[in-house]
Amino acid sequence: MIRRPVMPWRSLALAALAASVLGAPLSAAPRQEQGAGAEQAGGESEKKDDAKAGEKGEEHWFAVLGGEVHTGTGAVLRGATVLAKNGKVTAIGYDLDVPPEAKTLDAKGMLVYPGIVAISSQGLIGNSGSDFEDTIDPFNSRMILGLAAGITTTGAAGTAVKLKRFSVQGAVVRDKIFTTLSWSGRNPAGKRSLREKFQKTSEYLRQFREWEEKVKRDKELKEPAKKDVDTTILSILKGETTAKFVANDRDDLLGIARLAEEFGFRPVIEGCVEGWTVADELGRAGAFAVVTPRERRPKDEQLAAPAGSSIENASILHKAGVQVAVVPASEGVDLGGLVGRDIMHITIEADFAVRGGLPEDAALASITTVPARILGISHRVGSLEVGKDCDLIVTDGDLLHYRTFVQYTVVDGKLVYDKEKELFFAHIRPRPAALAPEKKLDKGESETKPAEEKAGEEKAKEVEKKEEPKKEKKEEDK
Amino acid sequence: MVLARDADTNMSLSILLLAFPLALGASPRPADPSASSDLLAIRVGRAETAAKGTIEHAVILVEGGKIVTIGEDLAVERGIPIVDKPGWVAMPGLVDAYSRLGLDGEGGEDNSPEVRAFREIYPGAEEYQEVVKYGVTTLGLYPAGNGIPGQAVVVRPLGKTPEEMLIQDPAYLKVILRAASSSKKLVRDGFKKADEYAEKEKKAREKWEKDQEAKKKKAPAKKEEKPEEKKGEEKKDEGKEEAKPEAKEEKPPAKEEVFVPPEPDPKIKPFLDLRAGKLHALFSISSAGEYLHLLDALGKEKLSFDLRIPLSRDSDIFYVEDKKTYDLEVDGIGDRKCRVVIEPMLTLHPGTMRQRNPAMELMRAGAKVVFVPRNDALADLKAWLPNVGEIVGAGLDRQAALRALTIEPATLLGVDSRLGSLEKGKDANIVFLSGDPFQPSTRIQAVMLEGRFVFGEVKP
Amino acid sequence: MKPFPFPCRVSVALSLGLGACSSAGRRGALDPLRPGEEGVAVLCAKVLTVDEKDNVYSPGMILVHDGKIAYVGERAAVPAGYRELDLGPGWATPGMVELHSHIHTGGWGDINDMVIPVNPELRASAGLRPSNPLVKRACAGGVTTLFGIPGSGTSNSGFGVIYKSKTHASYAEAVVKDPGGMKIAQSYNPERGAGDLGLTRAGLAWILEDINDKAVGANREKRFDPALENLKKVHRKELPVLIHCAGSDGFPAAARMWKLKYDTRCVLSHGCFDAHVTAPWIVETGAPINAGPRTMDYYVTRDGAITGTVERYLAAGAKDISLNTDSPVMPQEELFLQGAMSARLGADAYTMLRACTIHPAKVFGIADRVGSLEPGKDADIVIRSGDPLDPRARVELVLIDGRVEYDARQGQWF
Repeated sequence: MIRRPVMPWRSLALAALAASVLGAPLSAAPRQEQGAGAEQAGGESEKKDDAKAGEKGEEHWFAVLGGEVHTGTGAVLRGATVLAKNGKVTAIGYDLDVPPEAKTLDAKGMLVYPGIVAISSQGLIGNSGSDFEDTIDPFNSRMILGLAAGITTTGAAGTAVKLKRFSVQGAVVRDKIFTTLSWSGRNPAGKRSLREKFQKTSEYLRQFREWEEKVKRDKELKEPAKKDVDTTILSILKGETTAKFVANDRDDLLGIARLAEEFGFRPVIEGCVEGWTVADELGRAGAFAVVTPRERRPKDEQLAAPAGSSIENASILHKAGVQVAVVPASEGVDLGGLVGRDIMHITIEADFAVRGGLPEDAALASITTVPARILGISHRVGSLEVGKDCDLIVTDGDLLHYRTFVQYTVVDGKLVYDKEKELFFAHIRPRPAALAPEKKLDKGESETKPAEEKAGEEKAKEVEKKEEPKKEKKEEDK
Repeated sequence: MVLARDADTNMSLSILLLAFPLALGASPRPADPSASSDLLAIRVGRAETAAKGTIEHAVILVEGGKIVTIGEDLAVERGIPIVDKPGWVAMPGLVDAYSRLGLDGEGGEDNSPEVRAFREIYPGAEEYQEVVKYGVTTLGLYPAGNGIPGQAVVVRPLGKTPEEMLIQDPAYLKVILRAASSSKKLVRDGFKKADEYAEKEKKAREKWEKDQEAKKKKAPAKKEEKPEEKKGEEKKDEGKEEAKPEAKEEKPPAKEEVFVPPEPDPKIKPFLDLRAGKLHALFSISSAGEYLHLLDALGKEKLSFDLRIPLSRDSDIFYVEDKKTYDLEVDGIGDRKCRVVIEPMLTLHPGTMRQRNPAMELMRAGAKVVFVPRNDALADLKAWLPNVGEIVGAGLDRQAALRALTIEPATLLGVDSRLGSLEKGKDANIVFLSGDPFQPSTRIQAVMLEGRFVFGEVKP
Repeated sequence: MKPFPFPCRVSVALSLGLGACSSAGRRGALDPLRPGEEGVAVLCAKVLTVDEKDNVYSPGMILVHDGKIAYVGERAAVPAGYRELDLGPGWATPGMVELHSHIHTGGWGDINDMVIPVNPELRASAGLRPSNPLVKRACAGGVTTLFGIPGSGTSNSGFGVIYKSKTHASYAEAVVKDPGGMKIAQSYNPERGAGDLGLTRAGLAWILEDINDKAVGANREKRFDPALENLKKVHRKELPVLIHCAGSDGFPAAARMWKLKYDTRCVLSHGCFDAHVTAPWIVETGAPINAGPRTMDYYVTRDGAITGTVERYLAAGAKDISLNTDSPVMPQEELFLQGAMSARLGADAYTMLRACTIHPAKVFGIADRVGSLEPGKDADIVIRSGDPLDPRARVELVLIDGRVEYDARQGQWF
C-alpha cells in the first residue's frame, strides 16, 4: 500500500491536533481510566448525575486557570481559577487545589464569562424544532457556530437545550417551559375570554386554598368543584408553567401587565417594542421582556402619545424593574454575507441595548442570567457559581466589544470549542503565542504548528495526515 | 507460506478427491446433480484469496461446486481437465450484501420486522442473469420500506424458483434509525415488548413448573425436567412458523411433558431472536448524530450490530469513528468493531473541499468495511469494481478492499463459512479477470458460480 | 406643511445656513447665533480628523464658522465670539459618507423605471424626499452625506444625487450635487429581466458598451445629444460612476469595462460573494472598491473559513476602499457597523473609519467638502460617546453644515 510519507515533526504536531481536535489545549494528564466498566457506562443517561458518577468512582476534573473571571453575579476575579468536577463548578478563586488528573485550560491574559444563554434560536441544535432529546444533531456545524458565538444554552420551542457537542444525552435541561397566551387588541373577544378564564380559575384556586386549610379540621368538607377551570391557566397561577405573550403594542402590553398584576403571575413578553412607553406598569407586574434593541417600528404620526420603537427600550424597561433578555432579529445562523444581525452576533445586539443606555452588567445579564431565569434554569446556568454547570467561555477581550472572539467554549466541564481548531475563525487574529496555553508545549508540541496549520496546501492534505497521528497517539498511550 | 504446504500434499489430495466424489446434494444448487465427477483444474497467473493473501501461479481445483484445493504451482494429475490461463487473475465472487436487485416491492407499514425479503423474490428478473457478468455471485436482498422493514435473505443470482436461489434466510434484520422520536420509539418499543414477553413467558413457566411439581407429588416416580435446556429449545420452537430447515431436528425428543411457551407476536419474535443472537441487526443511519441516537435508543440492550451508512458528499460519520478522537461519551464504530456497509466513495470534510476516505478511516478506527455498489442499477454494479479501485487509489489497503467485496459481506450475511474467499471447501464462486482487480483497464473474463462457468467462454 | 420644531430654522436659512438650532435640552447648543457671535466651538475629549496625517487631538477643539470648519486641533482658548459646545468625553469624527443608498425616496420602490435597460437620461433626484424618516435615522447614526441612487433592476437607471441627511431640510438645503454620479448595474441583478435584451452577461455588456460608445462618440464630435449629456460627463471624467457588480465573474468584468476600456472615474460597488478572490487583479486596475452590504463570505472552496471580504481587499493592497449598507438592505444608520464587522473579521479598525468617511468622499470627488475634519471643509461633525465603530457608543450630536441636526439628549433616535 502506498502511503504519502509524513514528516515526523509534522506528525508530532498533528498527533496533538488529532488527539484533541478539541482537547489539545487540555493538560497532558491522561484521562483517568477507572476500569473498563466505567468506560462502558459512559453513554448512559445517569452519567451526568454527580452522585452516580461518584459511585462509579469516575471523577472528571476540569480547571480554567488564570483568567479574568467575570462570574456574571457582579464579581470579577483577576487571575482566578474555575474548578469543576463532573461538569459542575466546585470552586472559583485563588490558590485552589487542582487535582493532578484535572484537564486544564490556561486562560492567562484572557477573560472568562459564563456561557451565553440565547433565549431563542433556530438551527443550533438540529433542524427538527421539537423532541430535542431524540432529534438533536450534536455534530451540526451550526452548533459549532453557536458555540463560537459563546452560546452554551438555548431556548427552542419552549425547551431549554444545551449545545452539548458530541453527545445526544443530557442536552435537554428543561422542557414545556411556556404556555403561550394571546392578548391582542385585534381580538377583543379573545381578550375577554382569557380574562374570564383567569377569573374563574383564580376564584377556584382561592376556594381550593381555603378548603385546604379548613379540611385539616373538618375532614368531611368537600373539595371545591373544578368545573369551568382551565387547567393551563391553573398551572400558570400555581407557578408550574410560565405564561408567554408575543406583544408589541402599548395597549396590549398594558393589558397584559394589568392581567398579570390582578391575577398574580409573571408574564414573559416577547417583542415588547413599545414596552418603554409603559415600562413602569410592566415593572410592577414583574414582567420579563425579550427584546431586540434594533427592532424598528415607526411611530404612527397621528398618535400624540409616545409610540413606536426606541433604542432606549431595554434601558427604560430595565430601569423600571423589568427583567430584560436580548435576542437578535434573526434567530438563525446567517452565512449569506450580511454580518451582525443573526444569532452569531447576539453580543452585538446586546451592544445596541447599551447604546440605548442599558448598563453593561445588565447587558451581560440580558444574554446570560435573565434568559436563564426566564427559562427556569437559573439554578444550573447563566452565571459562574459553585454548584452550577460548568458552562463558560474564554474570550480575548471584553465580551461586548465588537472585535472580541470567543477562544474557547466549555459545556458541562468539557471543552467543546477552540477557535484555533475549528475551520471558521481560526485564520482571524490567531491566538498570540503569549496567549497560547503553555501546556501545549509541555506536550512536546512544535511551536511552529500554528504557522503550519495556516499554510493552505498543508490544509488540503490534512485528511490523510489526520490518520497518521491517531496511530501514534495510541502508541504513546501504551 | 501456508500455501506451500498445500502444494506438498497436492498429489495425495487430488488422488483422494478423484476417488471420493463429494456428496453435495444437501444444498439446492443449480448445477446438474448427475455430474458426479466434474473435477476441473484452473491455472491462473495469480489468485487473490481474500482470506489468505495472494497466491502467484495459482492452481484451483474445483469439484462438485466447491473448491477442493488451491495452491501455488500445484501439480495437476493427468486426466483432470485444465483451464490454463496464465494471464488471468482469480478472485472470490463478489458479494453484494445490501441490495434490492430484481425486487420491486414497495414496503408496507413502518414496523414490520417479521417481513422477509425472501417472499418477494422473482427469479425471472433479468437483472440476475446480467449481474453475474459483473462478477456478483451472492446477493443479500433486503425488504423495502421505512422504519423496520424486515429481514434480508442471501441468494445466488441463479435459479428458477426462489428456493433454488436461496442460500440462507434470514440474513439480517434491517432497521432504519433516524434522529426522530418515532424512529427511536420503534426500536425501544421492540425491546420493551420483548421484555414483556419474557415476563409473560417466565410466569407461564413458573406456573407450569408448579403444576409439574404438583403432578410429581401425585405420581412420584417420574423423570425430572431440566428447565435450563428448554430455554434454548423453546425459542427455536417458535421458529417453526417461519424457518423450516433447522426447526425439524429441534422438535422435542419424546412424548415427555415439555413446557410450551406462549406464542410470541410475530412482530416481537425478531427482537427475541436479536437478543438470543439468532438474528443479526443491520441499522441504517445517515449521520454521526444518528449513530449516537442509535446507541441512545438501544440503551442498556447488549447487542452486536452492523451498520449501513449511505455516504453523502459531506458525510460527518468520521466524528464517531472512534471514542478517542472527539472524546465521545460512548464507544465509536471502530471501538465496537462494527461492520459498516458503505459505497466506494470519497467524501468531503463538511464545509470544505478537503477529501476524506471514509472506508480507510473506518478501517483504521477498527471497523470492518463492506462495500456495496453506489446504487442498485446495473450500471453501478458494473462500475463496482472500478469504483473500489478508486478508493484503493486514494489509499485504501488493497487486501482490505478485496475483503470488503467478498469475505466481509459474506460474514455480514452469515455465510462466510461457505463462501466469500478462495479457500479449500468453499463454494467455487470465482471471478476471473484480465489483470489486477483494481486496474481500470482490467476486464472480467469469466465468472464461476458454484463450480459452473456462468459467464465467459471457457474450455479446458 | 408640518411646523418646524426648531424655531431657529428661518433665521438659519437667512443666515447662510449657519448652524445652531435651539433646544431646551442643551443650553445654548441649538440656539441660533446671537448678534455678535462668530460661531461655535466644539470641545471634546478626542477629535479624529481622518485627515491626510490621521491627526488625532486629545483633548480637541473644532471651530465652526459660517457652516465650515474654521479650526481643528488641540484644545486652545476659545476665541471671542465663539459659543462653547462642550461635549466632555465625546469623540468627534467627520460625518460618514455613504455611496450606495436607496433611501432617498423614503423606502423601497420608486428607484427603477424597469422599461428599457439603459436610461442615462434619468435622475434619482426627482424622487428625493429630503429628511424622510430613513434619512433622519441615518443622521442619528452619524451618516451625513449620501449618494442616493437608482436600483439595479436595469443596467443603467440613471444618475444619483448627493445629498445630506439634514433632518429638517428643503430640497435645496439637502442637495449637494445633482447629478452626483452615475449608477450602473452590471451583474447579479439586471439579468433578471430588463426588456428583451440583457438576459445574459453578453447582452448586458453589449447594451452598456453600445451606449458608452455613443457617448464617447458624441464627446469626440462635440455633438449635443439630450439623452447622453450626463453620460458624456462621465466619459469626460467630470462625474464618477458607481457600478453594482459582484462575484468573481462580474466584479472584474466591471473593472475591465469601466476602468480599462473607458477609463472612467468608476467605483466598483458590492464586491460580494466570491468577488474577493479577484482582489489582487482588481487592485491592479486601480478601480476603487465600495464594499457591502455583504461583507462576509463562506463557501466550501474557502476551506470552511468565514472570510471578511474587506480584509481580503485590504490584504491585496486596495486603496481608498469604502463601505456601504445598500440601505435599506442594511439600515442606513448602521454604516459604522459594516466597519465594525469588517474589523471583527480581520480588517484594521481605524482603516474602517476611513472607509466610512474620507475614502468614499475622495473617490467620489467630494473630499474638498466632506469626509474629514479639516479647516475649510463643511462642518459635518459627529460626536459619539466613544469609539465610532463600537455599537455601544451612541451618537450624541450631529452637526451638518455647522447646524445641529440631531441631539440625542432631546430624544435618542438610534
